[in-house]
Amino acid sequence: MTPFEELHAETVLNKTRRHFFGQIGVSLGSIALADLLARDGLGRLNAAEPVNPFAPRPPMIPAKAKHVIYLHMAGSPSQLDLFDDKPELRKFDGKECPKELLEGKRFAFIKGVPKMLGSPYKFEKHGQSGTELSQLWKYLPGVIDKFAVLKTVKTDQFNHAPAQLYLHTGTNLFGGASMGAWATYGLGSENTDLPGFIVLTSGGKTPDAGKSVWGSGFLPSVFQGVQCRSEGDPVLFLANPKGMDQAGRRRTLDTLKALNDRQATELGDPETVTRIAQYELAYRMQLTAPEVMDISREPKEILEMYGAVPGFVPDSDAAADPRTAYKATDATFANNCLLARRLVESGVRFVQLFDWGWDHHGASPGEDIVNTLPIKVGQIDKAITALVNDLDQRGLLDETLIVWGGEFGRTPMAQNSPNQFAPGRDHHPYAFTMMMAGGGIKGGQTIGKTDDIGYYPVERPLDVRDVQATILTLLGLDPYRLIYPYQGLEQRLIGVEGKGKVPDGLIG
Amino acid sequence: MIPFNHNDRNSGFATIFRFASTLSASLALSVSASAEESVDFAREVRPILARHCFACHGPDQAQRKAELRLDTKEGAFGDLGGYAPVVAGKVDDSEIIARIVSEDADEVMPPGGPEKRLKPEEVATLKRWIAQGAPWKNHWAFEPPVKAALPTVKSPEKAKSPIDRFVLARLESAGLTLNPEADKATLIRRVSLDLTGLPPTPEQVAEFMSDTAPDAYERLVERLLASPGYGERWARMWLDLARFADTKGYEKDRSRPMWRYRDWVIAAFNRDLTYDRFTLEQLAGDLLPESTPEQRLATAFHRNTLTNEEGGTDDEEFRSIAVKDRVDTTAQVWMGLTFGCAKCHSHKYDPISTTDYYRFYAYFNQTADADRGDEFPTETFPTPEQSAELKRLYDEIASVESGLASGPPRRETFDKIKTLRDRYNAIEAACRTPVFKELAADKRRMTKIHKRGNFLDPGDTVTAGTPESFPGLAAGQPDDRRAVAAWLFDPSNPLTSRVAVNRHWAAFFGTGLVATQEDFGSQGEPPSHPELLDHLAISFREANYSLKALCRMIVTSATYRQSSKASADLLAKDPANRLLGRFPRARLEAEMIRDASLRVAGLLSPRMFGPSVMPYQPEGIWRSTYNTDKWITSPGEDKHRRGLYTFIKRTSPYPAMITLDAPSREFCTIRRITTNTPLQALVTLNDTVYVEAAQALARRMIRETDATDVKARIARGLKLALVREPKPDELEALAALYADRLAAYRSDATAANAMATEPLGPVPAGIDTAELAALTNVANVILNLDEFLTKP
Repeated sequence: MTPFEELHAETVLNKTRRHFFGQIGVSLGSIALADLLARDGLGRLNAAEPVNPFAPRPPMIPAKAKHVIYLHMAGSPSQLDLFDDKPELRKFDGKECPKELLEGKRFAFIKGVPKMLGSPYKFEKHGQSGTELSQLWKYLPGVIDKFAVLKTVKTDQFNHAPAQLYLHTGTNLFGGASMGAWATYGLGSENTDLPGFIVLTSGGKTPDAGKSVWGSGFLPSVFQGVQCRSEGDPVLFLANPKGMDQAGRRRTLDTLKALNDRQATELGDPETVTRIAQYELAYRMQLTAPEVMDISREPKEILEMYGAVPGFVPDSDAAADPRTAYKATDATFANNCLLARRLVESGVRFVQLFDWGWDHHGASPGEDIVNTLPIKVGQIDKAITALVNDLDQRGLLDETLIVWGGEFGRTPMAQNSPNQFAPGRDHHPYAFTMMMAGGGIKGGQTIGKTDDIGYYPVERPLDVRDVQATILTLLGLDPYRLIYPYQGLEQRLIGVEGKGKVPDGLIG
Repeated sequence: MIPFNHNDRNSGFATIFRFASTLSASLALSVSASAEESVDFAREVRPILARHCFACHGPDQAQRKAELRLDTKEGAFGDLGGYAPVVAGKVDDSEIIARIVSEDADEVMPPGGPEKRLKPEEVATLKRWIAQGAPWKNHWAFEPPVKAALPTVKSPEKAKSPIDRFVLARLESAGLTLNPEADKATLIRRVSLDLTGLPPTPEQVAEFMSDTAPDAYERLVERLLASPGYGERWARMWLDLARFADTKGYEKDRSRPMWRYRDWVIAAFNRDLTYDRFTLEQLAGDLLPESTPEQRLATAFHRNTLTNEEGGTDDEEFRSIAVKDRVDTTAQVWMGLTFGCAKCHSHKYDPISTTDYYRFYAYFNQTADADRGDEFPTETFPTPEQSAELKRLYDEIASVESGLASGPPRRETFDKIKTLRDRYNAIEAACRTPVFKELAADKRRMTKIHKRGNFLDPGDTVTAGTPESFPGLAAGQPDDRRAVAAWLFDPSNPLTSRVAVNRHWAAFFGTGLVATQEDFGSQGEPPSHPELLDHLAISFREANYSLKALCRMIVTSATYRQSSKASADLLAKDPANRLLGRFPRARLEAEMIRDASLRVAGLLSPRMFGPSVMPYQPEGIWRSTYNTDKWITSPGEDKHRRGLYTFIKRTSPYPAMITLDAPSREFCTIRRITTNTPLQALVTLNDTVYVEAAQALARRMIRETDATDVKARIARGLKLALVREPKPDELEALAALYADRLAAYRSDATAANAMATEPLGPVPAGIDTAELAALTNVANVILNLDEFLTKP
């Protein structure tokens, strides 16, 4: 058998290599992970060694980044009011949209002939790069030279849930593996006392497509993102039950281990040995995670730098519709950014932040570009800027890739719902802005240009696939060869048809 | 290529006959010739060709390079103008070998650099195959199963059933044999977990242990098969395939009542509805003449697809996604085939073209559902209790209304009528289940190929039909979904029965005979015991597709009843246990861990059926967009129901289950991949469900022990959890833990009280709180023992 076939065979046997050897260590249990990882044909691991699913693994290709912090603005912010200034569009503000832009197009909410909507915000050039930013950004200009701004990203999907799935799992259907799952599957993590892929949410809701956007899909469930929380246990079920302190837990685990050791000796099942190790790992996680996740340990100046407020609980969480109660002083996203830095500093491979509340149609209160957008930018502006500076001052920015964006963009036309509440824009998949910094990205540049109204790319069209390919490549994973056979196909984050390339010049 | 030859579509029986003779000839050959020398085409050669060649020289015409295909005999042996890819008996004349070993970068196959090259042993296999005359056979799974003669074995006395003869034959050829039978305590725990998903009760254990008749085990099996837990356990398995959940999925992910379908599945297993009827009713129950409500309810199987209520979606887009899901799920569940990729392009490895895909799609394209928020069409399926309540309310409304007619109108009367009507409507809504309903003749949809899978890019119009490369439909079948069921159970269908028995085998043994349960195509694994697989497939058919008979066949075998002890020799010779020289221990499934813990604790509710329930879940888990549904812990015994009744919200599935490898039920999951992680340890150590179970077990240990001797109490707990008698050193270890923890709790009354009572409730009269807390710690350890979490 070829290595490929061999590993495939092993996988499906539902057994580990550790069954051969029965060595003590942490293993994936029923998956021959070493075999899975040998799939790329490079034999990056000795298949005979016991494998911890999160043990660091050598990259397939030279890596520029060790960690990713992905900041997803769920709902999709308006690129036209934040990054892509269109004076022409302002000129046509209130005029009917030309028919040719509507023909053959599907919109989520726009009906009939909508009117064009110029941005109410002023733009200025910032930094040495002269990158254009809207007046809504107060802090970002200070670090804009660290960012590459991608203005022509296109997606295939124009509804939230499918577009989020497409971006994060490579397919608009459920069942795909998320990019954090791919990353930890391919590389493991650098701190085995913590999950390798951690998810933090803000905005009062989980993303539209639900927890599948950080799911493991067809990959083993051990690679799914672990949602950490600011209320209750930082990791679900981490805290001992009431009435049991850590010494008591240690004492019970010692007995459990003694009895399980006995079982391992008697029956010779290596899986028992693995289970013993998992309980020890759980214990270490109980000690490590609360400490790492406790942002109150940060000095005052760092908290202020991010605008973080330990223990902050937003009022909006209690509202029936949290968007109507959003405040710019909401520290949840800032807390998550600071926590993301602490996690990366502790060696976590992939940290993903989902901030909900960016779907600014203007059809009802709490979701328009005049009232809500400034509040949402206020919640993230200082924190993102601080994250870049903080990583930089710790020497972590070079090895940490930061990605910022939504699942699509917003239309140059105003939405025209019968009950329109305030100016807003519909979903726009043809060109939207994303940003990347750190982790090997060449900052201080803008890639791609859209037409005069920001409808289509006119220079350097990019695709969500390119973003996926870039993230994997920077991590040292070949987006074409990082595969997993499932349903008769070689599944990849960039899709089985294999599109997606790193845009020229994006990597420094 | 007999089965792939289009002209042969309607001559299924002739095809089978020819297959059968080929196969038995080759079997005879493999028995007489040494396995070292004779190359098995199906097992050794075809997989090499499939892996390295089919992507460009396979079934997908659009991708085919140089007009050459190597997946058919005609292609592999065909004349290419004076030379041929394969020349039987002549390695040097065979072009594929020349190209594979070529050092010329322009010539070498497959292209793509050194990583893509065949390994030397693969080349050697191909050469030996050609030298031996290059015998050609179709992909094994597309040939009909053949019942082989039982193999001769050295130790026939070890065999209790035909299954064992096949297993023994392979073990013996590897110098191994079956393990001795497991002890009775192990057996009853194993078979109870497998057949009912529950560990045995002390009463069940006592009955079996005291039964010394030679057929005590067989009678135990009959009791378990007849118990209601049987249907619940196997419904759990089926509900993964059916992607059953309590919400619609996507952004809003609102609730919808599907639980009546779940109850249908449980009842169907319990009355042993045969697999062919079970299939027919789920795929086309609505189309049966004079269909019963139960048969129409069964069609909710395919209404478990997602409905997208996100604002601004195109309903036709998501309707077509749902129909594709039904096609893919049908092919996966019943035939182990990966149709899915053919929705965009012809399958690269298996003979399924895009046209085949959309012809099959056409069968499912005529149902009235259309991604509507109201889930139309639906039907109300009240339970008998609900029917009685509806009738009572109806009568009461009628009576109040008639009072209204005779007297002056009064506000209270109107209010009362409204209250009664609301109640009536609420009950009706709670059991109003989405079902299949065929469109009227004048509303039928025209099915067109979706180019590259895009529903907005229609290609040729197609009519409904089954994939061309497989034996066709028998004559006289209706032109609707009933035909799909008929085709699946046509005697010429090579896959349906094999896939079903393999799935059951995997449920008992952890791994299927075909390990890739989801893929019987050329990219899947060949079976470990091909003759056994066929034997089971045919026996299942001969047993009229009785699933209980299939279970019985498997669990009464010596292979199933053997010990799981792995000696060093066994581990060395068969580390992955593919030869089954020991019973494969396996971690319990997510639901089983819950059910077993609650049952051992004495908390498990025996209540069956009904709307899904909400056991303890940490706060703040449900934060779905535009959905204000709340998780409210079910009152009373409903929070202690079996795991399969737990409410499943697709965008936010029950965390403890997901952590233990349960799927989110957004798509059909053929096989759960078991993992072993620290987060799982945290669930069973700290989740309120398991803390409460430990508290209840501790109380039970005290309640059910006469003496106040702590070792007696611990022994009771171990016996309840593990069924077997505890060993002295186990008691010592847990008693030492108890003593330590008792000392700690004596000095901390608050901690003791919390440990003993939250959330279960006040310490029963006459029990010392510190003792109960310490014993709860002991119970927490017992419920986390590897042995407890594992099927023995």
